[in-house]
Amino acid sequence: MDVKFDRFASAAFLAVGVLFMIGSRKLASSSYGSSVGPDIFPFVLGLVLSLLSIRLFYEAFRGEGQESRQEKLQYKPFIIILLSTLIYILTLETIGYVITTFLFLFVCFQTMERNKWVTSLIISAGFSGIIYFLFVNVLKGTLPGWPIWFS
Amino acid sequence: MGTFDYLMHGFETALTWYNILFAFVGVLIGTAVGVLPGIGPMSGVALLIPVTASITGGLPPEQAATSAIILLAGVYYGAMYGGSTTSILLNTPGESSSVVTTLDGYQMAKKGRAGSALSISAIGSFVGGIVTLIAMIALAQPLSTIAIKFGPAEYFSLMLLGLAAVSGLAGKSVTKALIMTVCGLLIGTIGIDNVSGIARFTFDIPWLYQGVEFLTIAVGLFALGEVFKTILEKDEDDGEIAKINNLIPSKEEFKESAGPIARGSILGFFVGILPGAGATLASFFSYLMEKRISKKPGRFGTGAIAGVAGPETANNAASGGAMIPLLTLGIPGSGTTAILMGALMMYNVQPGPLLFEDHPQVAWGLIASMFIGNLMLLILNLPLVKVFAKIIETPKKYLIPIIIAISIFGVYAVQVSTYDLLLLLGCGVLGYFLSKNDYPIAPLVLGLVLGPMIENNMRRALTISDGDYSLFFTRPLSLTFLIVTALWLLIPVLLKKRGKDVVINIEG
Repeated sequence: MDVKFDRFASAAFLAVGVLFMIGSRKLASSSYGSSVGPDIFPFVLGLVLSLLSIRLFYEAFRGEGQESRQEKLQYKPFIIILLSTLIYILTLETIGYVITTFLFLFVCFQTMERNKWVTSLIISAGFSGIIYFLFVNVLKGTLPGWPIWFS
Repeated sequence: MGTFDYLMHGFETALTWYNILFAFVGVLIGTAVGVLPGIGPMSGVALLIPVTASITGGLPPEQAATSAIILLAGVYYGAMYGGSTTSILLNTPGESSSVVTTLDGYQMAKKGRAGSALSISAIGSFVGGIVTLIAMIALAQPLSTIAIKFGPAEYFSLMLLGLAAVSGLAGKSVTKALIMTVCGLLIGTIGIDNVSGIARFTFDIPWLYQGVEFLTIAVGLFALGEVFKTILEKDEDDGEIAKINNLIPSKEEFKESAGPIARGSILGFFVGILPGAGATLASFFSYLMEKRISKKPGRFGTGAIAGVAGPETANNAASGGAMIPLLTLGIPGSGTTAILMGALMMYNVQPGPLLFEDHPQVAWGLIASMFIGNLMLLILNLPLVKVFAKIIETPKKYLIPIIIAISIFGVYAVQVSTYDLLLLLGCGVLGYFLSKNDYPIAPLVLGLVLGPMIENNMRRALTISDGDYSLFFTRPLSLTFLIVTALWLLIPVLLKKRGKDVVINIEG
């Protein structure tokens, strides 16, 4: 158990709980035909969350002696894949599904393990092409296919 | 119409060509999901919801719901079959409900008896699946008749019980599990309020008006979270796969495993019905029970076939048993059933006592298809187990990016919004860090699915009583549920204080 994470998380959860309580105060306290309004449920939940996060902070404070185990984490490939996923998502609608998916898969394959780039090329091209064809032509779904300046 | 007629109608539905195909694809993918370490049944089902939604898009709504749930349920119980394969051959469980199978299964494989271990676990899974199905058919009607008499107050208390049961057993810390549950409930309040029509916590962003989509959260937290975990915690040392030679178990092995299979079916079924318990606990209990009543308990851990047959039967029986509260009461008892419920609600099919009346095609079609699916799994797993064992060798290099691509495609195909994709990615990162620090994710998804229903029932009950909260404590059934809820949360805490080890559910 990472004590630092728990402390940070308890503060974050406390903030969320309090914000929900404040937010629900602004809602109407009754609705038509009922004295029970849309504000009660979120208010109570916000209160419960705040109380629980205080309890979590207390638990994390008490368990200070436990040190977290250190593992070797592969940050580099993770960051690359995370960033390429973000770029993929943001460019999907303008550049279109086929090209972005192909590039995304190829980059990720090679990030995971840098070998057999021909196989990677074939699989990424095959996946993006087949999915697009099946979804748009067979299932008649909507997917931005090609760059918007093409069509 | 009696139960039998309904069941026959169910078979009619399940035996149409496309539903057979859906069941087949479901169990096939399920087995693969079970075999592959890294994708559990939860992320498998979550990942496939959008895919099935786009495939069934052309069918009329009720049929689409039936076909989709047949496929998704197939993934769920198919994973229970597949999970044993890696436990036995590689000593790495494909999913958490097969952890105990490694104890004796891998030892058997080392002694060259992998074939018998695999076939006994397939047969056990089949028997467990069929026994729970029969029990389910017997219980479905009576349970729905009782549940239909529940008022909003009873429903509110029962749902609280369901949430408490799952939070009380999930993960190492009850506090963390409860925090996740409340977060799920809070996320569920975002959007336009059903009763008053007021927008809550939307900050005038149109994208939030329809609420935060359950699908995006589930796929992000489970599927992407697990993917990120695999990338970050890469371990290269894959063990050697044991060879499978003789698939047919000897007469002696059959005799030895008959008892454990019978006991495992019944035990698994009852553990499965209990909310919060699920397949992992069922397999643990079964192993402990077999060890206790065995005449030679010393043989357990060295390759006793009873230690494979019992748990493997129990986990499959439990996965069937967990469907009962979902279908009859509308209350999912585990993360995976919560996702199945979310899938049904996407098709406007509300699980619960009215399901059998309003949508007999969906309910009985699903039950009948589970018979067919279990039969398919038995056939698939006996002769083709060698083919499935090959799936383990799928290089992570290709698997991981393709899972990301499928989740992005799936969410975009259903939601058609970049905001949902960003939320998906955010949930993936969050899911990794939360589960790494022992914050269980299943309660959050459960809260998200149940939240709006809990609130509606609470407000309906309070409207009837004119704002009087004592209603929940004066109605006997509602009071009972609330007392059980309180006990469920308090007893583990008290036991822990007294220094006892509490069995926890690691299913997620």
